[in-house]
Amino acid sequence: MNHLSSETFDDNAKSALVDMQLRGALRNATSLFGKRRLAAAESLQNWEELRSKARSIKDDVLLHLDQYLEQFVATAESRGAKFHWARDAAEANQIICKLIADRGGKKVVKSKSMTTEETHLNVALEAAGMEVVETDLGEYIIQLADETPSHIIVPAIHKTKRQISELFTAELGIPPTDDVDKLTATARATLRDRFAQADVGISGVNFGIAETGTILIVENEGNIRLTTSLPRTHIAVMGIEKVLPRFSDVDVFLKLLPRSGTGQRLTTYQSFITGVKQHDAAEGPDELHVVMLDNGRSRMLAHPITRQSLACIRCGACLNACPVYQQIGGHAYGSVYPGPIGAVITPQLVGLKKTAQLPYASSLCGACREVCPVKIDIPQLLLHLRGEITEAAVNVRRSEHLAFRLWAMAMSRTWVYRLSAKAGGILQGLLVRNGKIGKLNKLGWLAPPLLAWTSGRDLRPIESKSFRERWQSELKQRD
Amino acid sequence: MVSSAREEILGSIRRHLPASETFVASDEDHSLVQGESRDVGVKKDSESLIKLFAESLEAVDGHCVIVNSEEEVIAAVRRILNDLRATRLCPKRLAISDSDEIRYLVDSISPDLDEVAMTPSAAELFGFDVGLSSVQGAIAETGTLVLEADREQNRLISLVPPVHIAVLDAAKISCTLGETLEVLYRDGRVSPAITFISGPSRTADIELTLAIGVHGPQELYVVVKRA
Amino acid sequence: MLVSLFVTCLVDQLWSSVGVSTVEVLRRVGCEVQFDERQTCCSQPAFNTGYRDEARQVARRFIEIYESSKAEAIVTPSGSCAAMVHHLPELFSADERWQKRAHAIADKTYELSSFLVRVLKCEDVGASWSGRVTWHDACHGLRDLNIKTEPRKLISKVKGTEFVEMDNADSCCGFGGTFSVKYPEISVAILDQKIEAIERAKVDAVISGDASCLMQIGGRLSRKGSDVKVMHIAELLASQM
Repeated sequence: MNHLSSETFDDNAKSALVDMQLRGALRNATSLFGKRRLAAAESLQNWEELRSKARSIKDDVLLHLDQYLEQFVATAESRGAKFHWARDAAEANQIICKLIADRGGKKVVKSKSMTTEETHLNVALEAAGMEVVETDLGEYIIQLADETPSHIIVPAIHKTKRQISELFTAELGIPPTDDVDKLTATARATLRDRFAQADVGISGVNFGIAETGTILIVENEGNIRLTTSLPRTHIAVMGIEKVLPRFSDVDVFLKLLPRSGTGQRLTTYQSFITGVKQHDAAEGPDELHVVMLDNGRSRMLAHPITRQSLACIRCGACLNACPVYQQIGGHAYGSVYPGPIGAVITPQLVGLKKTAQLPYASSLCGACREVCPVKIDIPQLLLHLRGEITEAAVNVRRSEHLAFRLWAMAMSRTWVYRLSAKAGGILQGLLVRNGKIGKLNKLGWLAPPLLAWTSGRDLRPIESKSFRERWQSELKQRD
Repeated sequence: MVSSAREEILGSIRRHLPASETFVASDEDHSLVQGESRDVGVKKDSESLIKLFAESLEAVDGHCVIVNSEEEVIAAVRRILNDLRATRLCPKRLAISDSDEIRYLVDSISPDLDEVAMTPSAAELFGFDVGLSSVQGAIAETGTLVLEADREQNRLISLVPPVHIAVLDAAKISCTLGETLEVLYRDGRVSPAITFISGPSRTADIELTLAIGVHGPQELYVVVKRA
Repeated sequence: MLVSLFVTCLVDQLWSSVGVSTVEVLRRVGCEVQFDERQTCCSQPAFNTGYRDEARQVARRFIEIYESSKAEAIVTPSGSCAAMVHHLPELFSADERWQKRAHAIADKTYELSSFLVRVLKCEDVGASWSGRVTWHDACHGLRDLNIKTEPRKLISKVKGTEFVEMDNADSCCGFGGTFSVKYPEISVAILDQKIEAIERAKVDAVISGDASCLMQIGGRLSRKGSDVKVMHIAELLASQM
């Protein structure tokens, strides 16, 4: 299946907008998550205090990232964990494939990890001849469908029950059903065999705790617990920014993450894994390998505005709150991370050239900033990136920059401004009918913005008497 | 000289960070002041904790039974098994973890079942209907069970069979998550695998419709035994 | 009190009645209103589109004009323009001198409804208008400047006006400056959700504090042939029907 690219964002978005089933699904999901998040936040008297606390912990971590990472690694190593460092996606995939091949592994079970989506790990594993199955239900569904996730928390939100049933019938041979419990039970039964036979389990990491060398992973389904306790080898993939200083810091983040993501007080399971078991006979894997992934993250540390991108705890709240995401969903962004956070980290991870549309796909409403548990100022980041894009002259039409230069010249000289307005007032005579500018066709090419506006909306014309003229004639003389 | 990926990444971090101050592991008190949840003012006596735990557990679709003695634990477990008999989850084979706290149950409930096995292997566990274990602690404000792998082999017994019955000593219930973290990190060390369990497994991945019982257990029963 | 009016380029050219109403209301509550005819724009369009140099050029002119005023406050009938003025120090983060000057101007710049309620402590401006209305919370005013209760208080005191809260009054209308023409389909899709909420509220008029939102909402209502009017809060407060 063709996966969409961020370079064609505007076309992707247009396609999404005519998919009424998708829009209905998005509307339901985002509004439900939004309501639940709000109720969960309001159930805590000190929600704002928690957000500030979490942000200050993250700021401390990021400012001393190298030191906290060294502490984390040393402590975890002393408990038997092995570490591997990946400068980029390709290196991460290479490391993981080699770890598995060296152990004669072939059957891999995987739990949901955005970081492994980022590196396209499954493609590399399959190319290396391994069998890998996604065990999170939503991820399993999209794996069967050969699609990418459209939401950070609910990857298959764009699919209806019927579509999932058809998929299961085609891939698993079950009779059609729209009973969600039956569909879930089918996935459970199929995946249990895979769990039982797996050589290797691969997971992500929500938080790495420096003080104790612990990796913390949260979930509702139980597939992470199975993935990280049944196979003999556990490989955990972790972005370098995911470290927290102290064990006690978990309290703040476990209060914020589930509430922000799904409105739950706590997800069903939290797994705190510190090194490997002490006795051979004990339950659990024999080996724990942690792959630390940079892939562009260290660069983001340079500027205070971009540094805050790394505070993200991947809760998905910003997606649910975003009026743009609510209309177009995740696939349109053409990147692993969609929505507001995706619009700011994708250009930084992948480079501006292919992603220059993304920071502009926002009305800057600020709803994302309001719901972010770690107070990332996404609009500030978007504006910063827009500034970078115009400065680098990436993907920007020369005519737009010229237009703004002329605009700045006009706005700096009152007489030019007034003259331009008068000129516009005269030219618009060609377009104004019944006191407004309606849908343009032939003359629209003269001013693409006008054409774009009037495709869906009427436009007020420039008035024959501006305010300043009325000030002169009506208002100025009084008192 | 070939620099390792580790050195390159740490070097990249240092290069991109503004000149940072000398790192001092902070001594600041980072624990949150009480007052996080609506349960502020909850009396921390045993009965209040039990009551809060039970309410919180039921709120996440777990079942709570409160008893006073080992005899009553036995009776409660037998009743649970009996209730399950009427359902699809009709229990025939039960796996019990090797724990002093619940050893007395092994013989007491075996007449009700085809097989009672102590800590079967991982592969065998897939054929069992019920997992019975004790737990190392609990969090009242969220209805959470706390398991520590080096204290009891309950990691898989509490996960693989479709039903998990947990016997919880009421004295081990903490009020808040924060307190629990303090208990878990003692003598400068944490257990190799700590698991928090808050209710049966669930998902809403299909059209946001809640389905209980995915990869983890479908039913969670907690028998709370007062001290 | 002497106030200097920042009327905004949009109101100046496309919606002069908002400016006229603003002056009337301010005079009615006892202010002396100054209008510096050199004014043009706060630089928001360039700033939001990423053209920082061009934004700074226009912003410097803005700052110079208002520095010459003896007014105690600069009042503007636009939440987004007031918010932009509050962002000017950030625009000059690399120039300490200009940043200080920007701060001084930002500190005395107010959006109209927040000026009336928070500074003048005035909620009843002697207005009357018959009809059923609802309020749209414009994003920058709401989230950058915390303007939420003030317009509602002012509307509640308008004689003859019945106020009803619509669903998701604080959701974006989809304007977003150049976003509205760079991604018009998405802009209109977001807008239609706002229109649906307005229609469900069964009102005679939608009121807001930002002419840009009103242009967006009004433009769609007009295209759909709706009878629902859009009105700026200044126009409502100036009404004495």
